[in-house]
Amino acid sequence: MNSPWIKYSAYFVLIVLIQGLVIQNIQINEYLNPMIYPVMILLLPFELNVLATLLVALVLGLSVDAFGNGFGLNASATLVLAYLRPPLLKLIKPRDGYDTTLLPTIHDMGKLWFLSYATLLLFIHHLWFFTVEIFRFDLFFLILSKTISSVVFSLLLIILFQYIFYKPSKK
Amino acid sequence: MQNLFQFLKKFRNFLLFIILQTFVLGLFINSKDFHRSQMTNTSSTVVGWFIEKRYNITKHFNLSAANDSLVAANAALKAQLPESFYPLQGSIFYVNDTLKKQQFQYIPATVINSSNNKINNYFTLNQGSAQGIEIGMGVISDNGLIGQIIDVSEYYSIVMTVLSDDIKVNVKLAKNNEYWLLNWNGKNNEIAQIEDVKRDVPFEIGDRVITRGGDTQFPEGIAVGTIDEIVSEDGEQTISLNIRLDVNYNAVYHVYVVKNLMRQQQLEIEERILSEDQ
Repeated sequence: MNSPWIKYSAYFVLIVLIQGLVIQNIQINEYLNPMIYPVMILLLPFELNVLATLLVALVLGLSVDAFGNGFGLNASATLVLAYLRPPLLKLIKPRDGYDTTLLPTIHDMGKLWFLSYATLLLFIHHLWFFTVEIFRFDLFFLILSKTISSVVFSLLLIILFQYIFYKPSKK
Repeated sequence: MQNLFQFLKKFRNFLLFIILQTFVLGLFINSKDFHRSQMTNTSSTVVGWFIEKRYNITKHFNLSAANDSLVAANAALKAQLPESFYPLQGSIFYVNDTLKKQQFQYIPATVINSSNNKINNYFTLNQGSAQGIEIGMGVISDNGLIGQIIDVSEYYSIVMTVLSDDIKVNVKLAKNNEYWLLNWNGKNNEIAQIEDVKRDVPFEIGDRVITRGGDTQFPEGIAVGTIDEIVSEDGEQTISLNIRLDVNYNAVYHVYVVKNLMRQQQLEIEERILSEDQ
């Protein structure tokens, strides 16, 4: 587990299978559509550029899409997430920059930082997802309520995922 | 030229984002168009394998509910067996029926994957073209209407359920055969809508709605639901109805794919009329 490539590939397979086989089947009601796979993009290293992030997002989104029936929908939302992540990271940068030995996890960056970072990106991701899926402007409030309730659920799953699979990076 | 290169370099990320986004949105719009059957979804072999494995683990969780519905169907069928009838006459005549010909056959299948929180919802069935399933066939369960087959691979098939914005079903009122189109507005999994209902049709809350038949997919008289609410707005010529669906789409385990033996004939003759009109 020394090479970061092997580590990230293992996470990739794990996340796609969890999303495709478990999370996709949590269907409590029509307002909850939780998604855990954005965690893959959220937890990529700070210094990764937009190009590489976009490529990871494309492969991730299409893999998740293969488990559903609207092929391309998850990929589209994930691309938006990947494209907006580096500018957002720049926007909420601490005064003395990021420590590149750390990862953007809840352990390394603290609860408040991670919650604001993840909530904002997840909200954009989910809003895009439901807008493209439904694509009817007379149902705008349905889109909005689906987005808000699903973001809360996804956020809980993503935090849980980190407590299970991630350890704090050593300083 | 120099400027162009600088421009490209500056907006490289944005351009790549737009190109990839166009690509995946193109895929998504294609996948909604189910007449192009070549698409990646849960009927593909690799993902189908994973989903079948997961189904093999989780299928026992719902066993009691699945058994209840099977037992109910069995009881109804048992009541129709010859043994259940008391012979009123001493001798029974066997009639080889030349007045009726079989039109519908039913292919049993099991739901191995389902969604019910999207704007278009799908079931994946564990039977495919090897069992004779074709695109366009109707799907029903013991409780009523389920949907329509939109994609088939050799061993799996995809059903678009009635809980989909893209599907419309011919239905009629059981008591006086007034017919309408049923559609779902994406909001509540128990309620579907019928729009453009004329105000002079006599009906009440609680009336039964069944399939109309005649559209090659469903036999006549499959249960759909009951009228739950009448929505009328002042000044509108027509009213709309909310139909409480009989089927609980969160708990469907066994379904039947309807094979219409006379579908080809009906389509051919309708096609001929259409082409003569032109």
